[in-house]
Amino acid sequence: MAKKTLADKTPQNEDNVKNNDDIFNDDEEPNFSDPEGFIDDITDEELLGDILKQKPSETDGVESVIVVDGVPQVEPERLEKLQSVISKVLGKFGTIMNQYYPKNENGYTKGYIFLEYNNPLNALAAAQSVNNYKIDKQHTFKVNLFTDFKKFEEIADEWEPPKPQEFKAAADLHYYLLEPDAYDQFCVLCGNGASVTVQVWQNSAPEPTLLEERSRWTETYVKWSPLGTYLATFHKLGVALWGGPQFLQQARFSQKGVECIDFSPGERYLVTYTPRTDLGSDQKRLVIWDILTGQEKRAFFADGSSVWPIFRWSHDDKYLARMGEDVLSVYETPSFGLLDKKSIKIPGIRDFSWSPTDNVLAYWVPEDKDVPARVTLLEIPKEKQIPVDSVEIKEPIHAFAWEPVGSKFAIIHGEIPSVNVSFYEVRYGHQPALLRCHVHKHLFYSTEKLEKKACNHLFWSPSGQFIVLAGLTTMAGALEFIDTNDFTIMNSTDHYQTSDVEWDPTGRYVVTAVSSWKTSVDNGYWIWTFQGRILKRVNLNQFNQLLWRPRPPTLLTPEQIKEIKKNLKKYSAQFESKDRMRLTRASKELIEKRCAAMKAFEEYRSKRIQEWNNQKKRRLELRNAIDTDELDSDSKNVEEEVIEFFVKEETFIIDEK
Amino acid sequence: MKPLMLHGHERAITQIKYNREGDLLFSSSKDKKPNVWYSLNGERLGSFNGHNGSVWCIDVNWDTTRFLSGSGDNSLRVWDCQTGKEIGLLHTNSSVRTCSFSYSANLAVYSTDKALGHQCEMFIIDIKNVDAVLSQADAISRIAVNGPRISAILWGALDETIITGHEDGEITLWDVRTRKKMTSVKSHKSQINDMQFNKDGTMFVTASKDNTAKLFDSESLMLLKTYKTERPVNSATISPIFDHVVLGGGQDAMDVTTTSTRQGKFDSRFFHLVFEEEFARLKGHFGPINSLAFHPNGRSFSTGGEDGYVRINTFDQSYFDFHFEY
Repeated sequence: MAKKTLADKTPQNEDNVKNNDDIFNDDEEPNFSDPEGFIDDITDEELLGDILKQKPSETDGVESVIVVDGVPQVEPERLEKLQSVISKVLGKFGTIMNQYYPKNENGYTKGYIFLEYNNPLNALAAAQSVNNYKIDKQHTFKVNLFTDFKKFEEIADEWEPPKPQEFKAAADLHYYLLEPDAYDQFCVLCGNGASVTVQVWQNSAPEPTLLEERSRWTETYVKWSPLGTYLATFHKLGVALWGGPQFLQQARFSQKGVECIDFSPGERYLVTYTPRTDLGSDQKRLVIWDILTGQEKRAFFADGSSVWPIFRWSHDDKYLARMGEDVLSVYETPSFGLLDKKSIKIPGIRDFSWSPTDNVLAYWVPEDKDVPARVTLLEIPKEKQIPVDSVEIKEPIHAFAWEPVGSKFAIIHGEIPSVNVSFYEVRYGHQPALLRCHVHKHLFYSTEKLEKKACNHLFWSPSGQFIVLAGLTTMAGALEFIDTNDFTIMNSTDHYQTSDVEWDPTGRYVVTAVSSWKTSVDNGYWIWTFQGRILKRVNLNQFNQLLWRPRPPTLLTPEQIKEIKKNLKKYSAQFESKDRMRLTRASKELIEKRCAAMKAFEEYRSKRIQEWNNQKKRRLELRNAIDTDELDSDSKNVEEEVIEFFVKEETFIIDEK
Repeated sequence: MKPLMLHGHERAITQIKYNREGDLLFSSSKDKKPNVWYSLNGERLGSFNGHNGSVWCIDVNWDTTRFLSGSGDNSLRVWDCQTGKEIGLLHTNSSVRTCSFSYSANLAVYSTDKALGHQCEMFIIDIKNVDAVLSQADAISRIAVNGPRISAILWGALDETIITGHEDGEITLWDVRTRKKMTSVKSHKSQINDMQFNKDGTMFVTASKDNTAKLFDSESLMLLKTYKTERPVNSATISPIFDHVVLGGGQDAMDVTTTSTRQGKFDSRFFHLVFEEEFARLKGHFGPINSLAFHPNGRSFSTGGEDGYVRINTFDQSYFDFHFEY
């Protein structure tokens, strides 16, 4: 066919070419035209938007024109001089392409001129710089862009006041503190990637209540703010804060690839950080935000080596400090400028911490040759050296923890697995005194099972006195609940593979959790009382994280707390009766639920049993007329058989007497 | 009461079954010899010698005259219960995964695994008169199962239907006469490991790798109840006298080392049939439970474990005294 077409195209057959045109086209060239009835619903913008952007646009050059007013009015003889002055003043902003000096009937200039620059940017620069330029005593240049006139013309004659925006009352962000039974909340994160689910629970009695559950609320993990007001979620484009009874979005801070955040203790500022460096040169990696306004306060340079949190805040949000090599930089809020405009040089600084109550900063410099280790208290801005008390432990130390309220601390020391836990008390003007050495070698040999348990972590109750000793992950999840007033072991138990231990903010409950971030089996969390009594076991596939919602510090004075403690008996009686009532109500609900389930099931069963009874004839046919419906329904065919079993053999020696 | 420990197998137990009267307990294992025991004292009555591979499935007919076993040696064998002699042998193209007598025991069904070049197939055979012809005779029905293989099987009540549980969690009801699917449900997310009837056969309980056991109606395959755990469930059995279901299972053999036996992950777990609430656990095996069976009188139940033991557990009085409040 192709050959024939070629032959047709020879000049001799020119007449034929026309006739064969259609065949030719069909054969050799694809048809690019749209089929009939085709509707082109793709815009050029969509097809080649990127190319269209580069398309030069037409302009009449009007943006490059400026109007200069206040120019001296001169006769034709002096025009040349005027022009040279104008080009001296206005020529330095760019090449003047055109100039026009309007004249009246006498040939005098009118006092205003038009100049066209080679581009709009130069025109703008000239207008901004030369406006209000005094050329002499009587004349001041008024320069405007030609396009501005249009803008000014369109201003409405009458001023319209802007419409007031409707007042939106902010939700009560602290509603959860008004809960009459002082139930605490906690949030649970489970699932990974697309299946991430966040739940917020209220730890009500006798069963926790689910308050909120959202899938994909966050893309990685969640974090409560330090006073519990906000729940922070992480997204590809930034951080969002949620709060109020419905957990509505309260604020949003956009930073691509954000991975770490840190709230200031008073929840006024938020520090966000992304470790990513591939997001362009203008990407800010370490940013401090104002939470209420959502504004960026300052961005900092981030070096990769820092430990999170990079900034540590003073208790009142007034200062923040950052440690570098041999320097400590203290910044003040709200300006976020460096305090005294310079960093403090501290050779060998290893770590530092703010006082939880005052603007005092403690830093630590380790032993260096002959200079002993020292801790320095730095009162902003004064400085004071204080001596260090030291307790020498001649064994490896695995963990250390201060009692949050009180003056005790605990350490785990010794060679694994026979470790000991020791408790010390610090008294003013004295060496820390050993209170109790808890010898685990013996204690953890429970007489019943002879299973050896060991611990590697310490978890003090936030209200002090009680402590949980835990053997996390590698140590099988051994748990010991101890009252440090008299060092009784309230319970010694375990939660296999425990990876996290979380006290509730009041010190009433403890949660032990097995996170899927650490191990893939048995994920879930168990809720215990502070005495180590198990309340609830929750097994949750792909469980990741449980976080109690923090509470702000109590508003009660020490006297009031003392008073409450004194009258504890009275209160506990009230609470107990309340608990009993709740339990009765719950069990009543459960029984009602069971009753309903049983009734529905029996209804279904009676129908099926009826059908089954109707099939009895068929059944008998299939089994040679022997009734096998019940074990003993076929009494005719039963043969009694006696089987003797050998039970036991005993040998007695009969007394010879 | 102290359980009876039956130690007659050298490898993991694959299935255990009582006969109708409950005086005998049959067990199969990954070793090659199914055993039969007196359920009363745990004494071994005998073994069925002949297979050359793991025995995956067993069944005994209603009058305890015939015993069926299917094996990884690509054969299904029929045995005389009284003598322990092999009386029938059927060769297959791949492992026999499931087998079951019909209600009348005139028919039997077995299924084979999907294997190199062979798809999963279900065979219905006439087993009324077993003789040498059996191995040559054609099956009454030979149904090719496209898609996920059969992992559990039950005969419907009156020899008329067959219920198959599949690798992907699907359950299908077949009409024996037309060989067609009547209905099928996909309530489980993962493999059905076991299916067992209640006493009258109107309901059955499934055990699935998806960590649940479920109760279904045998005729409509309607889902009635769900029993949730946090472990793959290998087997589940319904009490003939109480509204109780017992579940057994555990991690796959390869994951077992990561689990502590103290955690009770290999316990038999008791659920209320209707309320779906767990109310008791019984410890025992040192590995996952692979098969569970209630004694027909409901006064004891047995478990067969990955550890190779069969345990016969007789209930104490406290079990009979316990009642749910409702």
